[in-house]
Amino acid sequence: MITAEDLGRRFGETWALDGLSIEAEPGEVIALLGPNGAGKTTTVRLLDGVLTPDRGRARVLGLDPVTQGTDLRRRTGVLTEAGGLDDRLTITDNIVTHARIRGIPIADAKERAAELLRRFGMQDQADRLAQGLSTGERKRVALARALLHRPEVLFLDEPTSGLDPAATRDVLDLIGTLAADEGATVVLCTHFLIEAARLCRRVAIIERGKLLAFGAPTELAARMWRGLRVEVELGLAADANLLENVTSVPGVSDAQPTERGLSAVVEDRGAIPALVASIVTAETAVYAVVPRPPTLEDVYFALTGRTGAEL
Amino acid sequence: MTATGQSNATDQSRATARDDPTGRGAPTGRGGPTGRGGPTGRGRPAGGDRRLLPARDWSVMRAVVAKDFTAIRRSKGVILPMLLVPFLLLVVLPFGIGLAARSAQSPDLHGVLGKLPHDMARPITRLPAREQLVVLVDGYLLAPLFLIVPLMVASVLAADAFAGEKERRTLEGLLHLPVAEKDLFYAKVLGAWLPAVGVSWIGFVVFAFVANGVAWPIVHRVFVPTQLWAVMILWLAPAVAALGMGVMVRVSARARTAQEANQLGGAVILPLIFAAVAQSTGLLLVSLPIAFAVGGIVWLIAITLLVRGATRFTRDRLASAL
Repeated sequence: MITAEDLGRRFGETWALDGLSIEAEPGEVIALLGPNGAGKTTTVRLLDGVLTPDRGRARVLGLDPVTQGTDLRRRTGVLTEAGGLDDRLTITDNIVTHARIRGIPIADAKERAAELLRRFGMQDQADRLAQGLSTGERKRVALARALLHRPEVLFLDEPTSGLDPAATRDVLDLIGTLAADEGATVVLCTHFLIEAARLCRRVAIIERGKLLAFGAPTELAARMWRGLRVEVELGLAADANLLENVTSVPGVSDAQPTERGLSAVVEDRGAIPALVASIVTAETAVYAVVPRPPTLEDVYFALTGRTGAEL
Repeated sequence: MTATGQSNATDQSRATARDDPTGRGAPTGRGGPTGRGGPTGRGRPAGGDRRLLPARDWSVMRAVVAKDFTAIRRSKGVILPMLLVPFLLLVVLPFGIGLAARSAQSPDLHGVLGKLPHDMARPITRLPAREQLVVLVDGYLLAPLFLIVPLMVASVLAADAFAGEKERRTLEGLLHLPVAEKDLFYAKVLGAWLPAVGVSWIGFVVFAFVANGVAWPIVHRVFVPTQLWAVMILWLAPAVAALGMGVMVRVSARARTAQEANQLGGAVILPLIFAAVAQSTGLLLVSLPIAFAVGGIVWLIAITLLVRGATRFTRDRLASAL
C-alpha cells in the first residue's frame, strides 16, 4: 500500500528528510512521530507527489508519486497542518470546491458534504463562512474535505495541534474509526506520543530528517531492551540481602531498590513466580507485583535522548 | 524549512521529472512506472506533454476559476480597490469634465492642442470651441489613462490569486489535489484576467454612457467610442491585463503575502510598464495600424512572461517555498 525506501529530500544543503524507509499495510494506521522540523510534513509531500525526492523511491497504492502524482492524488486525501480553508468561502463551498476540482459532480459533492458535516456535528453551520470558525471546527471541516472522495490513503498532518482537550478527543475518535469505517490507510503525523500510542500499531520515529526507528512500540522496545521490567511493592525499600537473593533467581537479570520495594528485570513473564517466591522465602511481604513493559514514551525518549519536557 | 540554495539546475531537473502536466489520463495512471535515471531519482524520463498547446482539463480549470470568482466576490479588500479606480476614472472624471464644459466659458485649448501630434489635433481644432474640451479629454486623453484599469485590476487579482493563496495558507491544499500544474496555473491566470477584462469593458460602457450623456447638450452626437477607442478596448486592454498578470505572477512567486506582491508590483514595476504603454499610446492614437502594432507587442511580451511563469509554476517549487 505504502512503501518508501531510502527516501530523501534536501533544501539547499540541509536534508529535510534523510533516508526514510517505511511501509504501511492496507487499512493500517501508522504514525510519523517527531518534533516540529523532524521531516514529517516533507514525508507527506513526498509520498503524495507534491515534492520530488532527491534520493530514494516511494510507491503509494502501487503508483509512483513522481511520475503518477496526479493519478495518485485522485485516491489520497490530505489534512494539512493549517487546514487550508479559505475564510472567504462558506464551509460547504470550501468542501464542494475541492470536490469539483476532483471531478465529483456538484450534486453528489453537496450530498456527501452534508453527510460528512452531519457526522462531524457541523450540519447547522454548512452555510457559515469559514472565517470565525474555531481551530477545532476548522480541523473538522478540513477533515471532512479530505474524506469527501473516500480516499484509500489519508495523510493527516498534526490533526490535533491547537485543539483543546475535548476537541482533541473528538478528532482522535474520528480518526480511530476512519480506518475501520472507510477502510483507509492512515499516515498520522504527530508530535503527541499519546496520539500515536492510541491510534497506531506501528510508528516511525523521526528526528532532524533521520528515521530513528520504525515498527510496533513493543518490537522496538524488544530491540532496545532485553527482558521485562517488574515493579514489586514491599512496603519499604529492598535491602542488599534481598536484592542478592532476587538476582540469584534464574531468569532475573537485574534488581534495584525503589522507594517502596524493588524493580527487577526478568527474561519474560515466566520468571515472575520464581521472583516472588524468592522474596516470600526471605520472609518479606509482597503487596503488589506489576509488570511494566516499555511504553512508546520509553522507546521515544530512549531513542531521541530527549526528556518529556523537550518534546 | 526553506528553499534557499536550490540550484536552477536542480529545479529544472525536478520540473522535467514530474508527472503528466496535463493532469488527465485514466485513473490507472499515465506515464507508468517509468524507469529511474539513477540513485538520486533525477533524470527520469519526463512524463510531460511537450506539445506547444497541450489540451487542458477545462472542467478542473472551471472549478478553480469559479472558486476564485466566489472568493473575490466576497472579499471587500479585493473588490473595493478593484472598483474604486475605474469609478473615479470612468465615471467621476468624464462627468466632471462634461459638467465643466457645459458650465464654463469656452477654454482656450490652443496651447494644449499645439503640443499634440498634428494628425490627432487636427480633427479637434475643427470642432466648435465648447466641444473641444470634452472631445479632447474624453475622446483622446483619457484613452491612455483608461489602461490603468485593466492593469490595476489584473495586478490586484493576480496578487490575490497567487501570493494570496500562500498568505491564506490555502496553497498546500491545492497542491495536494489531482490537478495538473499547468491547469492550475492557467486557471489562476484566467480567474484574474477575465474579471480584469470584464471590469474594463463594463467600465468603458459606463464611461461611454456618462461621457456622451453629460456632453450631449454641447456635442449633440455620440462621440465615444471612436475607432481608436475600440482598438484600445478590444485589443490593447486585454493585452495590458495579460501583461499585468505576467508581471504579477513573477512578483507573487517571491512575495509571501498579497500585500507584499501588490507593493512590489504596484509600487515599482507596474508604473514603469504603464509609463511605457502610455508613451506608446501617443503613437497608437495616430493611426489604427500603429495601435494594432503596439497591442501586438504588448501581447507578445505578456504571453512570453506568462509562458515563462507557467514553466516555473511547479508543485515542487511552490511546496519548497511554503
